Order: sequence, then C-alpha cells, then structure tokens
Amino acid sequence: MTNLLSLSSAGAGWLLALMIVCILAEVGVIVWLILRQREEARAKTSGNGVMHERNIENVKKTQKVVKFLVKVLIYLFLVAVAVSVLFPFYWMIISSLKSYNEYALEGEFASRVTPTFFPHKVMWSNYAEAFKTANLGTLFLNTVFVGIVSTILSLVITVLAAFAFARLEFRGKNALFAALLATMMIPGELFTITNYGTVTNILNWGNTYTALIVPFLVSVFYIYLLRQNFMQIPNELYYAAKVDGTSDLKYLWKVMVPLALPTIISITILKMMGSWNSYIWPRLVANDELHQLITNGLRDTDFAVYLADGSRDADKINYPVQMAAVTLVSIPLFLVFIFLRKYIMKGVSRSGLKG
Amino acid sequence: MKVVLQELTKIFPSRTKKGQEVVAVNKFDFEIPDGKLVGLLGPSGCGKSTTLYMICGLQKPSSGKIFFGEDDVTSLAPEYRGVGLVFQNYALYPHMTVKQNILFPLQNFKGADRLSKSEMLERAYNVAKLVQIDELMDRKPNELSGGQQQRVAIARALVKMPRVLLLDEPLSNLDARLRLQTREEIKRIQRETGITTVFVTHDQEEAMSISDIIVVMKLGIVQQIGKPQSVYDDPVNLFVAKFLGTPPINVFQGTVKGGRLYIGEDNVLATPDVEDQEVFVGIRPEGFIYDKNGPLHCNLRNVEVMGRDVSIVSTSDASLNPTIRSIVDADNKIDTENQTVSFSLKPHKVFIFNKETEERIRFGNTASPAEVKE
Amino acid sequence: MVDSKKQWKAWLYLSPVIILTLVFTVWPIINTVRIAFLNDYTLMGDAGGMTFSVGVKNFQKVIQYPDFLICLKNTILLTVITVPISTFLALLIAVCLNSIKVLNKLLQTIYFLPYVTNTIAIGMVFATMFSMVGSGFGGADPYISTAGIINNILGVFGIEPVNWVNAGSTYWANMFVMIVYIVWNALPFKILILLGGLQSVNKQYYEAAKVDGTSRVRTFFRITVPMLSPMLAYVIITGFIGGFKEYSSVVGVFGEGMGPAGTEGTLNTMVGFINTNLMGKKPREGIASAGALILFVIIFAVTMLNMYVSKKRVHY
Repeated sequence: MTNLLSLSSAGAGWLLALMIVCILAEVGVIVWLILRQREEARAKTSGNGVMHERNIENVKKTQKVVKFLVKVLIYLFLVAVAVSVLFPFYWMIISSLKSYNEYALEGEFASRVTPTFFPHKVMWSNYAEAFKTANLGTLFLNTVFVGIVSTILSLVITVLAAFAFARLEFRGKNALFAALLATMMIPGELFTITNYGTVTNILNWGNTYTALIVPFLVSVFYIYLLRQNFMQIPNELYYAAKVDGTSDLKYLWKVMVPLALPTIISITILKMMGSWNSYIWPRLVANDELHQLITNGLRDTDFAVYLADGSRDADKINYPVQMAAVTLVSIPLFLVFIFLRKYIMKGVSRSGLKG
Repeated sequence: MKVVLQELTKIFPSRTKKGQEVVAVNKFDFEIPDGKLVGLLGPSGCGKSTTLYMICGLQKPSSGKIFFGEDDVTSLAPEYRGVGLVFQNYALYPHMTVKQNILFPLQNFKGADRLSKSEMLERAYNVAKLVQIDELMDRKPNELSGGQQQRVAIARALVKMPRVLLLDEPLSNLDARLRLQTREEIKRIQRETGITTVFVTHDQEEAMSISDIIVVMKLGIVQQIGKPQSVYDDPVNLFVAKFLGTPPINVFQGTVKGGRLYIGEDNVLATPDVEDQEVFVGIRPEGFIYDKNGPLHCNLRNVEVMGRDVSIVSTSDASLNPTIRSIVDADNKIDTENQTVSFSLKPHKVFIFNKETEERIRFGNTASPAEVKE
Repeated sequence: MVDSKKQWKAWLYLSPVIILTLVFTVWPIINTVRIAFLNDYTLMGDAGGMTFSVGVKNFQKVIQYPDFLICLKNTILLTVITVPISTFLALLIAVCLNSIKVLNKLLQTIYFLPYVTNTIAIGMVFATMFSMVGSGFGGADPYISTAGIINNILGVFGIEPVNWVNAGSTYWANMFVMIVYIVWNALPFKILILLGGLQSVNKQYYEAAKVDGTSRVRTFFRITVPMLSPMLAYVIITGFIGGFKEYSSVVGVFGEGMGPAGTEGTLNTMVGFINTNLMGKKPREGIASAGALILFVIIFAVTMLNMYVSKKRVHY
C-alpha cells in the first residue's frame, strides 16, 4: 500500500489540504473541550449555588476564545460539506476532459498510481464523441419537445382547474377537491402498471410522444398550489371585474394569472425539470430511437473504447466520454438553476417532489 | 447590586451604503443604586430598549462601559452577567409547561452551581408562589392568559436569583385592567426580592406609578433622571414637561418683558431675573386657579365635573395645544354663562422654556428643585 | 344561490382534469387491485381472451420469491439508514448555516445543487468515483496501481482500498455507496425545509436562552429541535415515502442490472421489483400489481405510524 501514499503533485496538494482541514477541526474540538473543562473547574472553586461569584476576567477571556473557535468549527464543517457536495461535479467535469488513457491510467499514464486532478491534455473531443455516440442531439430535441408541450398543456389544465376550485361555485366542489387530494397519497408505481397496459394495448400509443405527454398532464399538487395562490387574491377584484362585464376567462388571464405568476413560474420550472429527469415511464412506453428521452438514452448508451484497429474493446467502458455525456445532460439543469434559483427553491420548499 | 453606565453609546451602521448611521444611545451616564426600580421612559426609537439590551449583554455597546458593582461587564456575554430578562412578548417556550419553563434557567447551572432536583423544584415553587402562579405549574403557555404568561416570564427571570432584573415593555401586551393590576404586582415583587430592576416603557403613567427613579430619553439622549415626582415637578426641558403627566401640560407662546411673563396680552406672572425674550410656557393642569380677577383669559368651551375635581376646557390663541385643560377643585362654582374664563396661576406649576433650545428657564421661587419638592 | 350557467362552466374548466384523472388515476387504482387478485394474470393473456380465477396466488408468489425478499430487505435497509443520517446531517447543516452571515447565500446555493441534477446521470458519476480503474485491475494485486479516486482519498487516511461497485464487490460495499449517494441526493430538500423552519423561529427564544446561560448543545436539543419538530416530521415522513420508492438512484449507480456485474439484482428495490416484472421479456402484470399493492400498504402504514408518532412528539 505504500506507493498509494506517495502522491502525485496535483493530487497531493488537494489531499494535503483536506488533511489539514481535518486536523485543524480535530485540534479545534480538543482545545474547545479543554477550555470548557477549565471553565467548569473554575466554577467549582468559586461557586456558592448562584452564578455570581465567577472570576469575570477569566470568563471574558475564554468566552472570546470559545466564540472564535466555535465560529471556526462551524465554517470548517460547512466548507467541508460544500466540498463534498461539489466534488462529484468537479470529478464529472475533469473526468470528461481526460483522455481514456489518462482516466484509466493506461498507456503513457500506466506508471501513475493516483488519478490526475486536472487533465494533462484537455480533450474537448470527448464532448463531440459523446454527442455522437449517445445520439444526444435527438435525445435533447425529443426531451425538450416533450417537456415544452407537456408543460404548456399541463399549465392550461392546472390554471383552469385551480380557477374553478378557487372561484367558481358548483355542487360537489369540496368533495371533488378532497378526492383529488387523496390520490396524492398513492404511490405512482401503482398507476404505472395499468397505465402501461392502457397506453400500449387499449390506446395504442406505444412509441409515440402522446404516450409520454398525456398521462402526466394532471398534477394534483400543482392544482392545489395554484388554488391556494388564487384564493389569496381578494374576491372584490373578481366582483369588480364582473360588474365591468369582464368574462371569466379574460379575468383569469388578465388578473389572476399575472398575480399568481411566481407560482406559475415555479410550476413551469418544476414540470420541465420533471420531464428532463423522468426515467421509468419513458423507458416503458416509448424507448425506441425516435422517441427516447435523455435520461433513458444516457443510461442505455454503450460508451465503448475502440482499439487501434477500430474494433471495440469489449471489457472497457469509455468513462471520459460517458462523463462528457453526463455533463451535457446536467448543464441545462444548472443553467436553469442559476437563473431561476429563487423560483425553484420557493417551489420545492412547498412541494418536496423530485422528478 | 448597583449598575453603572459610563458614556454608554450604541451606533447602528446604516442599512444602505450611503445612508446615515443611527445613534441609538448617546453617551449614557448613570448609576443605578442597588435595589431600586428604574424606569427607562421615552417615545419609540429613543434608545431605551437598546440600553436595556446592552445592560443585558444581547447587544454590544459601540463605546462606553457597563459595571455591575465593581465588575466591568461591558464585553461579558449575557450568560455570565447573572441578569434576568423579561421580553415584551414573554418568549415563553411554547413546548414546555410552566414548570419546565421556570426550571429551564436552573438546569443550565454547571459545576458547583449545579442544584439538586429537589433544590431546583423548591426554588421554582418559591418563585412561582411569589408571582402567584403556583396553581398553574403544569399548564402550557398557550393555556394561560396574558397576565399569567407575564407572571411566568417574570418567574423564569427571577428563579436564578439574578443580580439585575430587566423588563422590556412588561405591560404593553396586557389590557388596561390587567395593566393596572400587574404594575402593582411588579412593584410588590421588586420590593420583596430587593433586586435591582430596570424596565422599559413608553407609557409615562406606568413609569411614574412604579419607578423609584425614571430616566426620560429622546433620540438616544438622556433628558432627565430623577424621582418621578421631582421630574414631574421640575422638568429640565419642554420635551420632558410634555412627556410626563396626564392630562398633558398646556403649552403657550409667551413673552418675557421687563421681568414679567406675558401670554398673549395677559400679564400673568412675575419672572424676576429673566431676560426679555420669546418663550414657551408650560402650565400643568393643576397649576390653574379659577379666579374671576385672574390675569389669564381664555375662551371657555366646556366644563367636565369629575367628582372631586372639575376640568375646565378652554381655548386661547396663544395656546399651542388645541384646547387648554385645567383642573380645579370642585368647590369652585364655574360660571358657564360667561364666554371667557379667567385664571391666576400657581408659580411652581408654571415652567418657561427657551424658544430655540427648549431648555428650561428658571425664575423666582422655582430656581431650585429642592424648594419645589418641599 | 348557485346558478346553473356557472355550474356548467366550472365542469367545463375541470373536464380535462376529471377525464385524465379517471383514465390515468382512478381506473388504474381499480384495475391494479383487480389484476392483483386474478391468479396468474398477464396482460398478454388478457388480451388473448384468457380468463383468470380470483384469488391471492399473486401475493403468495410475490412473498415466496427470494428476489422479492431481497428487494424488501434492500428497500427497508436503505430507508431506515439514509433517513436518519440525512435528516440529522441536514439539521446540523441548517443550524450552522443559520448561525453565519458571511458566505451564507453562496453556501445555501451550493447545498441546493444536488437537487437540480438528474438522478441517473449523477449516479453514473458516483459510480465512476467509486469504481476501480486501470490496467492493474484483475491482476494479482489489483489495487496497487489503480484504486479509483475515493479509494485514493481513503488511502490518505490509511484505509485499505475497497472494491465498492465493480464485479466481485461485497453487498455492504455496494450498500455503502448507495447510502452515500442517497444521502447526498436527499440533503438539499431537507436543508431547504429545515432552514426555512429555523428562520421562522422567533429569535427571542434564543435570546432568552442565552441570557439564561444555556449551552449550545442544550439550546439545540431543548429549543431548536422542539421548535423545528413540525418541519422535522415533514422531512422524515417525505423521506420515508421517498425511501420506499427508491429506484432510479440504484439504476444510476449500477444500471438496470440493479447490482454489480455478476451479481445482478442484489441491490434491487421494491419499485425495481415492480418494474422488472413489468419490463421483462414475459411481463407479469399480476405479480407487479401485487407488489405495488404491498408497497402501497407499507408506505401507507409507515406514513400513518409516522404521523401518529409525530402527533405525540410534535409540539403545537
């Protein structure tokens, strides 16, 4: 194992930093504990049952040190967590830029014992290869198409339903709403089985976009969310519009939708992200080349390594190219996140549904 | 335990980059004698709560020092100061019973301070008895009335036998009837425990009625410190005079000419040794004497008989208040037929203030506070 | 007064929802229950005009499958291990995050990043981080020249390299990777919710505790945790539901084989069981339905239990 410890320069820097952080944290904890003990010991010598009789000067000194140490510990911990969170992304990106030999420590890299932390030669060509191998172009287009169409249709349905539940009076309203909410408790897997049959055998939608879009247009949760938002809009606005002779739909479009826009944006983003990340259903009903969605395509693609003579090496997976594909799939999500962070976090904090 | 504040100052940085910083408390010098009940009084934003939080340690002074007895506690964290704090909205832990709430501070004691379970319970029950909530020990805060919650909060602050007890607007969340009752209660508890107590209020009546000493503040600056009655009887400036007293003091435009004070055309009082100048004149409602031949003439509006006293409501062009309220003995027969009403004045109930600085200008027999106080 | 024109309009607006819900939600519930209780039901057979007797044979079969027991065990293990770990970590992170000002927003954003990822795609990244690479693999001492980045990092602390995910890896090594990945993935949502909860706690409780000299640890357990109990309950309940539906994270790391090469299926989950029976060459809808119903009952029971416990524990 000794040669594992003799690290390469780039890697050594990283790991050393990690070690120092950990040791610092440890020392911090120990010092803190000692200080606490000292403090208690002092209290023992001077206490009389009430906390008045302390040596104030000493308390003041330790109090400052303890406060500082706690701050340091908190930051160390938070930064360590941040590093752990970011590390997979970092590894994904640098792996995607390595040559296969560098990644696998073969060929000219065979003498190394640890992976490099930055590619010796940046292989942008991996991205081109990933794009080609995984057929990402088609997958992107398919996914974006399905995402956009289902989001638009879903929004229309959700807005209309939320409006009906929030503003209109009709018999059985509360019962219907309660029944819809109750369906939220049932895990989706229960529906998948029958829906699979319905879509492929009865409706004959196998391998169509329709099969990918229609079954998931209704989201009770989004209806619920939007209805709550609509109900906060004062009734008087509605009556005022009625007096002015505004039609329901016009009122909905001109008043309610703009006022509930933040919620609608949240719903839109979450729905789009859902399409981007969906896996099981598309895998079942539309997994042919023409309709395949991005996640399925990514998982199914065989990222092969090719030998010098052009034949494929059966035992090996071309991880750099695979990572390039993964990076390409992740980038749109990150872009959306960077620009629309507020809406996503707001929407998620009220939902808790992933994918 | 006496508490000494030395040039205590708190400056809040401005919220925006270009905005001005806010001086919440400006060079507060004060020595709170041991075992007294002190009321910090002023309108909102005057720095009274900030002062309280600095004494308690939750806010750090920008400059200046705080001593508890001989100990400099300026940079000491609140937990080592041995203070009890009662929050405006009580901050009772909603998930704990009254007993658990009161026991909570005791359970924090460490080392030799640590108490046995029975000692803790004994202390908790003693303090609960003191504030008369020993019947409610197993209830949760949301099952209590506002007044009861207030008592629990005081009990929680008292149970660790603090060196100083601090109360932040202790009565503001109570209805009027409870407020009267509770302020007597606070006074009683403070007397019985003898703990140096500082409380903050914007209600002058509250401060006057229970404090041993009041501190009147305005915009971070201490205006006057003294016994409630002496501050009332001898305000140092117009702000203090206006802030204390119900009904409030009547303020007039006035002129001093040749050692006489004029309100409008009326030559009302001798003001020896005062230079000729424009002044504000403050007259306490009880400073008026109903006198047909009196020098001050006002337009009679209304007479309210309130049992022992009669309140005469009148107006005058010189008055800065919309109406003048004067309280005279009910033995006076007020002639309501007449359009005007005339008063003579009790000189020690009349204060004059510099028109620019609004500082008090002393004259004649009100020159020294000692005389006023009898 | 409800006028009939409005009624008509309301139903019109709701018609897409009602129709779609009837077809894709209500009917599946009925149908899934139906086929779960039809012995040896398959969709192919049904379409071919076969008739099935009513009975509980599907359930018997499910329970007798060794595969199913593996799935059940994996699902339960993953859930009961990851939910407490991720909840506790998230609580710790949220509390620390709430106590700092500098870098607060940046760290908050970083911590949320795993939420906006594709579970399958990042699962593949985790697989590469844990997997062994290079030509030395398969040799006499496969670890000498190649160990994979996680093993390299562990090596710094003197920990022997472990075969985490490759052929020949042990069950617990695989589980460890899954636990790390699931916790990593579950943190953002929990941090977000708990941080929101912390920010809504009245600061005066902490000031009161501070004046009373309450230690940090005691403040955490006696004030923060009780005050956060509604959010904690929410996070734990949703965590349990999510845990029992775990599937795509395993697919991400191990592929649809649901296990390392050579020992496929050892990491299969309940949802995986349903999907395998649905996607196989000979789909067995009856078995899948029975499995789905069992999953539903388990989730329902655990949720009810959680709600019962939290009602006793949650203050307010």
